[in-house]
Amino acid sequence: MFNRVFGVALNTFRESLRDRVLVALIVTAIVVMAGAKVIQPVAMGEADKIIKDLGLSAITLFCVLIAVLVGGRIVYREVEKRTIYLILARPVRRLEFILGKYLGLMAVLVLSLLIMTAGFYLILLISRVSVTLYLLWAVLMTAFELALLTAVAVFFSTFVTPIASSVFTFIIYFIGHSTYLLKQLAAMSPVPAIKFLGVVLYYILPNLGNFNIRGDVVYGVPLNPQALVLSALYGLVYSLTLLLIAVMIFNRKDF
Amino acid sequence: MKITEVTAPVPKGPGLLINILPVVVVVWGFVGVYLLQLAIDSTSRRQGERLMQELAYFPSGVALREAVIEYREIVADFIWLTAIDYYGRHQETDRRYEWLGHIFEILTTLDPRFVGAYHFGAITLAWDAHKPIEALRLLLNGMKANPLNWQLPFDAGFINYMLTGDYKSAAQLFQVAAELPGAWTVVSRWVPYITAKTGDFETARQMWKDLYYSTENKKLRELIIRQLQVLKLEEGIARLQEAVDQFYEKEKRLPNRIEELVGQGYIKEIPEEPFGGKYFIENGKVRSTTQPGLIK
Repeated sequence: MFNRVFGVALNTFRESLRDRVLVALIVTAIVVMAGAKVIQPVAMGEADKIIKDLGLSAITLFCVLIAVLVGGRIVYREVEKRTIYLILARPVRRLEFILGKYLGLMAVLVLSLLIMTAGFYLILLISRVSVTLYLLWAVLMTAFELALLTAVAVFFSTFVTPIASSVFTFIIYFIGHSTYLLKQLAAMSPVPAIKFLGVVLYYILPNLGNFNIRGDVVYGVPLNPQALVLSALYGLVYSLTLLLIAVMIFNRKDF
Repeated sequence: MKITEVTAPVPKGPGLLINILPVVVVVWGFVGVYLLQLAIDSTSRRQGERLMQELAYFPSGVALREAVIEYREIVADFIWLTAIDYYGRHQETDRRYEWLGHIFEILTTLDPRFVGAYHFGAITLAWDAHKPIEALRLLLNGMKANPLNWQLPFDAGFINYMLTGDYKSAAQLFQVAAELPGAWTVVSRWVPYITAKTGDFETARQMWKDLYYSTENKKLRELIIRQLQVLKLEEGIARLQEAVDQFYEKEKRLPNRIEELVGQGYIKEIPEEPFGGKYFIENGKVRSTTQPGLIK
């Protein structure tokens, strides 16, 4: 099984690397980060913070875009190009196919994350900003956020068109960072039905706010190790659950 | 189809025109775009102002905070740059800072831990926008979000001491600041200043100087230098006024000119006017040709 999953993953990885969108996004991210250098003289003593904020935000934003844009069409493309018949005619189970697709895309994202982070640290060094490895915790948590978001993208990709999939994933991304509002709404609303709905949605929708510790690392606030471990687990469990649903949907399709 | 139609020479004029037409249209299109942009730029509102007005729509930054999801810090940074631009521009022109308080409120709502923003915002609000109460409110919000930061109570104490004249609160705030971790040694030095003597020039000068060395913010340093000069002007006026009063007591008349005070030995020399103006006497009161409101 692992060989087959690995095979699909490797193929997905290679294919995605040829995607021009990927290269464009990575290059843009690094250019944006380097743009912070221009801000340095006008930032009035806050340049360190701004360069770090901009770098970490750019890494997250552009990786999210890669996950959404490349991930959104990852399964559908195979269906559209009819290549899915070639793959599924071989002894590859659908579960293995989805898992391979997901892992291949994650490999692309991890590679992008590494390239952008290297670029970010290079810019920190050039800008003579106090460089600390502490910032890497934020990048690590971004990786877990991407794991979840990629699962969302693959999930949608199994049953809607690429554009719709990207749009839905992006909406989930936006909502995922605002779910705490649902909880607040539930707490404030006097209507029991809304209270109930608010709480249910709060727990069902992915809570991406768990993964954002960029403010903490930039300000050098001590991190809570327990929260980090729990958030990482949350990301993995949520991703696997979503992939499972994706496989179930995919299994019901006639190819 | 007749043979003559086929063999007839192709009319050249219109053909050439058709070939060139798209190029001409494109060129004129760009010219049009250029002219329109010129017109847009010349209509009162400049880029920064427009952004400022957009920000004004946000009642308190709460709406903006929800809209930018996980990018709050970087949006706050962007507003920080805008705020500095806004401050710098108005400082060079009309010295009116209507939106300054609002903009810092939005900024700190997005990023409540941005201590530099509270610091700069409070000092400029208090001294340039002449809104010490608004400055104190900003600092209070900052103290709630950053209870362990000593600089914020320190700034609040400074504003209370210098502007609102609430020496008791000032002393308490300095005491609070002095006890917080990492507090700067001069803070504890300021506590006795406040409790012993209030409102003298030497103390004020020392405090401004301490503050000067505490910041790397260029705009803030310019403000402090300006305030030190204002202080010098006020001190010069106060010294001359004292001499005039003594003169009046002895001679039972007012001196005709400032120089008379030196001639009669009421003052050793005329204090330097830091802005290059001249001191003069008007109805027994010493004034300067420098208009305090026009000091850049």
